[in-house]
Amino acid sequence: MKDCYLGVDIGSISTKGVIIDDENNIIASSYIWTEGNPVNSVKKLLEILKEKLDKNYQIKGIGTTGSARKLIGLMLKANIVKNEITAHAIGTLTFYPNIRTILEIGGQDSKIILIKNGIITNYAMNTLCAAGTGSFLSSQAKRLGINVEEFGDYALKSKNPVKIAARCTVFAESDLVHKAQVGYPKEDIIAGLCKSIVLNYLNNVGKGKKITPPIIFQGGVSKNKGVVKYFKEILKEDIIVDENSHLMGAIGIAVLAKKNKNGNTYSLEMKNLKFQTKAFECNHCSNNCELLKIYRNNELVDSWGSKCGKY
Amino acid sequence: MYKLGIPRSLFYYYYGHFWQDFFNALKIDYLISPITNKKIMENGMKIAGSEMCLSLKNYLGHIDYLKDKCEYILVPRISNFKNDNQTCTNFWAAKDIVNNLFENKILNYNVDIQKHQTLKKGLFKIGKVLKKTPLEIKKAYHYAVIKEKKRLKKNHQINQNKLKLPKTKILIVSHPYNLYDELIGKDIIKYLKKRKIELIYSDKFDPKITNKLSKKISKDLYFKYSKDNLGAIIYCQNKIDGIIFISSFPCAPDSLANELAMRKIKIPYLNLVIDDSTSFTGLETRLESFLDMLGGKLND
Repeated sequence: MKDCYLGVDIGSISTKGVIIDDENNIIASSYIWTEGNPVNSVKKLLEILKEKLDKNYQIKGIGTTGSARKLIGLMLKANIVKNEITAHAIGTLTFYPNIRTILEIGGQDSKIILIKNGIITNYAMNTLCAAGTGSFLSSQAKRLGINVEEFGDYALKSKNPVKIAARCTVFAESDLVHKAQVGYPKEDIIAGLCKSIVLNYLNNVGKGKKITPPIIFQGGVSKNKGVVKYFKEILKEDIIVDENSHLMGAIGIAVLAKKNKNGNTYSLEMKNLKFQTKAFECNHCSNNCELLKIYRNNELVDSWGSKCGKY
Repeated sequence: MYKLGIPRSLFYYYYGHFWQDFFNALKIDYLISPITNKKIMENGMKIAGSEMCLSLKNYLGHIDYLKDKCEYILVPRISNFKNDNQTCTNFWAAKDIVNNLFENKILNYNVDIQKHQTLKKGLFKIGKVLKKTPLEIKKAYHYAVIKEKKRLKKNHQINQNKLKLPKTKILIVSHPYNLYDELIGKDIIKYLKKRKIELIYSDKFDPKITNKLSKKISKDLYFKYSKDNLGAIIYCQNKIDGIIFISSFPCAPDSLANELAMRKIKIPYLNLVIDDSTSFTGLETRLESFLDMLGGKLND
């Protein structure tokens, strides 16, 4: 039996799973939509990974990252739960040890990570709003009646991208509608949108940060060729996009799971696991904490949200 | 029924101890609103205009709590200090806003040095309203001022001692009414303290020192509290591992101060903007990764 390690990155839009071996080779991976239900999507993900995984491997570590990392960490009894910034940096450094700048645009958030000699020196993440992230792109794709996967190809066709307000998605959307109504071709609007994503990113997250090559671009949006093109154009630098750029967080957390292995062997059999959450409001004091109780096979494993520690 | 109500928000975090000393000496029975809870915050949101900042909304919630329990509510107007040090417009407007939204009697004094209205004059004015003699007020004022000076010195000293400790040190740059409020900044402090981080608070430095130092970042700063905060960064940037700047949404002075700090500071820097979102998840991600970065955990 050979050892392998599972990394799961549960984002707001998509759920990613990667299994690596002792040499950090990817032996199975999958990318599916979260659809607002992290528990179910992880169950689905594990079924897919189980099919793909060679029977000679046994899982010796599980790590979770992404916005649902804590919940899924409990569900899978993960040996490590880590934030996505650390996971992304580690994943990237595993394959690109000389990288200096990581640009990342995901479903709900975007981040920039600056690295020097393999050490993170600074990073930034969008603060309040989700302007210019994947969820905005997919809602606009729906509005324009095309698949978000085709977005990049459309954008590359355009020779004359329209100008779209880059600061706020509310303004961007009304700009977009106006441009469409006065008759601009679809590809020019889409190209304009891709360009505005880049400008928005550089003006918000990338503001005041020194972007030094080599630069790598990852997260779901890195699959959009239009956005990549405008990053290259505006930064006047080459941009690396790894074929696994959308999986980098999952790879990173799998590497961390390997580093933190504790001898346990894990199973991918979760189909019949009863994993439930119950939400209620505590009326003990005027804080009215929103509490979440988490049950694994009807057994209470954790509860979150209490300010006073009563639960 | 108490004579006087003091809202535990905004001004309280600058003058709270001073007021308590002053009114104790004057033998006034006062009530301080409780530590912010969800109900107070929610009531504040209902009363406040949608464009007001989270901290002002919270303040109005505290006034609402006090409105049926006290004869007077203390709402000063703090406008400017020596050397053209202006405060945030909310500090100017609080009295008028409260006056328009509530029917309570307001105990008000102005601090407006440009118009020669000092703290001392202001306290004499309210002392008179509370039917105290000039001698009593004078005694109470001096008592409170001396204690305030001692407190300031002690806080500054504590910060300086912390700077010498051989631990991971983070400077927390924030307005005290955000930082120490249970529903705004307290969770962040708790999170960091649990992880054995030494926290140095920008508001605990002696403002006389930090205020001047801010000139090294920009000579054109307008707001007093921005100057104090940025000066604190200059004061200790070589002795700390990172800076966390916490502000409430949508704070205009902070948006400027944050921009400046972000561009001029060379050490790890994190900006957190707090709104009434009830989930800590987003903040936790940012804090956890910030600590990972400081701890150099990525290298082992």
